[in-house]
Amino acid sequence: MSEPGPKQDFRYPLHWRLMDGVERLADIVWPRSMARHTGWLFIAPALLLVGLLVLGLVQIADSSLRVLDTATFLPSEDWSLTNYEKALGTKVYLTVAWRSVSAAALTTVLTLILAFAYAYALVRVRKAWIRKALLITLFLPFFIGQVVRAYGWLIILGNSGMVNEALGLIGVAPMRLLFNYGAVIFGLVQYMLPFAVLLLVPALTAIPEETETAAGSLGASWPRIFWHVLLPMAKPGLIGAGLVVFTLTLTDFAVPAMLGGGSQDFIANAIYDQFFRTADQGLGAALALMLVAAGSILVGLVFMVFGAGTLAMGGRK
Amino acid sequence: MSGVQQPAAVVAEGVDMDFGTGAAMAVKDAGFALGRGRFLTILGPSGSGKTTLLRMIAGFQTPTRGQILIGGKPADAVAPHRRSVGMVFQKLALFPHMTVAQNVAFPLKMRRFNPAEIAGRVERYLELVRLGGFGARRIHELSGGQQQRVAIARALVFEPELLLLDEPLAALDRKLREEMQLEFRRIQKELGVTTINVTHDQREALVVSDEIIVMDQGQIQQHAAPAEMYRRPANPFVAHFIGVSSFLKGRRSAAGIEVNGIDCAGQAVADLAPGVACLGAIRAEQIRIAPAGAPLPGCDTVVQGQVTDIVFEGERLLCFVTLPALAAEVQIYHHDPAGLDQLAKGASVSVGWTAGDLLIFAADKG
Repeated sequence: MSEPGPKQDFRYPLHWRLMDGVERLADIVWPRSMARHTGWLFIAPALLLVGLLVLGLVQIADSSLRVLDTATFLPSEDWSLTNYEKALGTKVYLTVAWRSVSAAALTTVLTLILAFAYAYALVRVRKAWIRKALLITLFLPFFIGQVVRAYGWLIILGNSGMVNEALGLIGVAPMRLLFNYGAVIFGLVQYMLPFAVLLLVPALTAIPEETETAAGSLGASWPRIFWHVLLPMAKPGLIGAGLVVFTLTLTDFAVPAMLGGGSQDFIANAIYDQFFRTADQGLGAALALMLVAAGSILVGLVFMVFGAGTLAMGGRK
Repeated sequence: MSGVQQPAAVVAEGVDMDFGTGAAMAVKDAGFALGRGRFLTILGPSGSGKTTLLRMIAGFQTPTRGQILIGGKPADAVAPHRRSVGMVFQKLALFPHMTVAQNVAFPLKMRRFNPAEIAGRVERYLELVRLGGFGARRIHELSGGQQQRVAIARALVFEPELLLLDEPLAALDRKLREEMQLEFRRIQKELGVTTINVTHDQREALVVSDEIIVMDQGQIQQHAAPAEMYRRPANPFVAHFIGVSSFLKGRRSAAGIEVNGIDCAGQAVADLAPGVACLGAIRAEQIRIAPAGAPLPGCDTVVQGQVTDIVFEGERLLCFVTLPALAAEVQIYHHDPAGLDQLAKGASVSVGWTAGDLLIFAADKG
């Protein structure tokens, strides 16, 4: 005798039952009546993180207002703007600030030029194996830390490094390739290139190849297609990539420290010195806050001028 | 091709395109001549090589063999941006970062027209495509049909010798597509610009063109005027691709074609020896249908059949009828606006046709 309907020994698959259990648990912990507030639940971890950052900033702001007492090596009890006056009034810090900003600008321009060509090749190349090779070459540096890479450049560019050895073979006297402005810029561009390419690829993918073909058939030569069609259409990606490269470079520490050899300090190096060498926390904090302010103002300005949608690659404000 | 008195607008001579992928050639030995001011449609299923042929005329691809002449001059060595060819692309390829007027002005700027006359010319062409006053709009603010019109204006504004249309209507809904077909025709006649259109839509080809080329598997199947193409298809492929045709397999007989032992009246398109395998093709609107036993006056062949399905298409019925005597099924358009004939699924019917309407081809093609 067989009964109609589901068999007695039927059981749902294990992962179904597990999901049912999770759902039941979720109903108890976060009942349906709370559904309106689920959005808050999702951003809670992020809010926590940002909150901690803000707390840290408040702490730094506090110590930036206290002057180091050189007799006791303790910060003063009362607040003053002495540290800021010192930071803005000392020629060394202005030199360092100018060096950071100008290097960031130069690195951004050079990186964008190289990254645009690379990203364009990556997007438009027809042979799959070439695209794969370009992608692997792009991601490889991410597996090697910044310090290790800078160290690699020390070996390659050093006084008895590979480059100078090779130059020696053709009779060129060894040159000082390291510990100067050029070496720092070189290292920074090399470090920033993959970031810029990764940010440019989606922007270039969004430009249909047919648009370029159309511009050609309408009478535009290659340089004109680049200038009138490609560049304006890639603008959101270029701004996003430029912003990332600029801020990362402006705050960089390892490359100027290692390839600059102490002669090419950026703001971050100056801050490090205040915290860990001269132990003047107040001055270091003031410098750090000024760096945060400069970066924030720049990002704010870019968003105001070009719209906050810039980084979203949508092409619309 | 040597007998052309004045240089034709476009001539293709023995054009091959082999992408070298190991697959069949995209275009094989394509040759045609197109007179000035004519509207040609290249019609074919996807993968037939029609777009490749168009792209070679535009200069985006170079033929592996043969040559293309535009205005009597070989075009192969001329880069696309130096050819006097306007093209409307399948996805339109408008510039989203420019206004409508800037889009239309683009070819004028690139081709170094006198800056003083650019604005006036842009407005004139926007009016031609009925977009007067839309110059300041952004592309994404326009509807699909309006974007089409911008693309047409942009392709025509520099007065090219040749206008190429690469299936620009394929993505539109039917109503808009039919409206734009008539619009293409009107603009083409108004300017008299030589035009080559590529499509897989046979209706579009018949509606807009002065001449049609049907392509299949990289080869030109037929080059003729629309009415001629429709009435006198050169081979079964063309008969099948344009219009709705039914096919009968058989052998050549004196009266026409012998199908399953029954002699059917028909007309051969070429000399075919008696007894060779051949294929009869007849259009759905050329077969007549009546209730079984009712007379079909004027028909040369009448056979009995049974309705297997009826599709109501509004202005007409599409009847699927099996003909057991011929071991075949045919499709028949039947006009019966008042619904008097009471044709129904399963009904026994008589069908018939005149000898001139059943076209007989050699059976090796298609």
